[in-house]
Amino acid sequence: MTLDPIHQFNINNLFKIGQIGDHAIYFTNSSAYMLVAVVLICLLMIGGVAGRQLVPGRVQSMAEVSYEFVAAMVRSNAGAEGMKFFPLVFSLFMFIVVSNVVGIIPYTFTISSHIIVTATLAPLVFFTVLIYGFYKNGVKFFKIFVPSGIPIYILPLVVAIEIISFLSRPLSHSVRLFANMLAGHITLKVFAGFVALLGTSLGAIGWIGGVMPLALTVALTALELLVAFLQAYVFAILTCIYINDAIHPGH
Amino acid sequence: MARGFRLSSELIAGVVVGAVIGWGFDRLLSTSPFGLIVFFLLGFVAGVVNVVRSAGVVPRDR
Repeated sequence: MTLDPIHQFNINNLFKIGQIGDHAIYFTNSSAYMLVAVVLICLLMIGGVAGRQLVPGRVQSMAEVSYEFVAAMVRSNAGAEGMKFFPLVFSLFMFIVVSNVVGIIPYTFTISSHIIVTATLAPLVFFTVLIYGFYKNGVKFFKIFVPSGIPIYILPLVVAIEIISFLSRPLSHSVRLFANMLAGHITLKVFAGFVALLGTSLGAIGWIGGVMPLALTVALTALELLVAFLQAYVFAILTCIYINDAIHPGH
Repeated sequence: MARGFRLSSELIAGVVVGAVIGWGFDRLLSTSPFGLIVFFLLGFVAGVVNVVRSAGVVPRDR
């Protein structure tokens, strides 16, 4: 086996679903892991509400904690009105967090390490904000580009900067999640590769020396678990902040 | 590391979007290279604004 840290991100076609024009549509390993994430979330949420006891069991309290966590986040960042978007934020958060955590398990595939996935989720949020903002506020939505208390002679410059800043949101929103997951998994793979590399090249001394990168791999796995949660949290909280802009433009 | 990625992606996003707008502006109005220069700089400013905002407004998340 060659030590290729990029190999884990390969997309494999599992079976063909259909065809659009000349382009065949395949069910890939990425789709399979998306399905796994969705099934796990469904099991958690359905299993959580199936029992419905006053003193919650394990699954029920997990479902309750995840609900409370996201609900508190939406309320504090987008206000009570933002709860309209709770299903969106909750779905995004749960999908990212479950798929990231599944991705930490060795030999699995991390969906969000592909920019196409994050670059689909971020414009979803962006256009939700844009369409809802215009639907709710009409022309007043443009106030988010015009901060109050700016002298008239630098206003055009500030408006141009604000517009570019607004347009760059989906890009940074998607790149952040993708880059974190990609870099984390490559680092993990490289350090894990050092163990085998030392052992096979230096023999017994190498295997003893390999303890250090092994310990580092264990530590990095813990860090990756933190990053998996953190990035899902950051993605969800930024969604809340953007939605807040759509509900209350002009601060 | 997470915080570094967060802030650098904000800056890069601003610059890239500014450059893309400038490039498109030049393509449409054939004002090359002035649109690219102006919007690239504006994008840089917008990126810095993004970084300052994300570093200051939401200090709780890393």
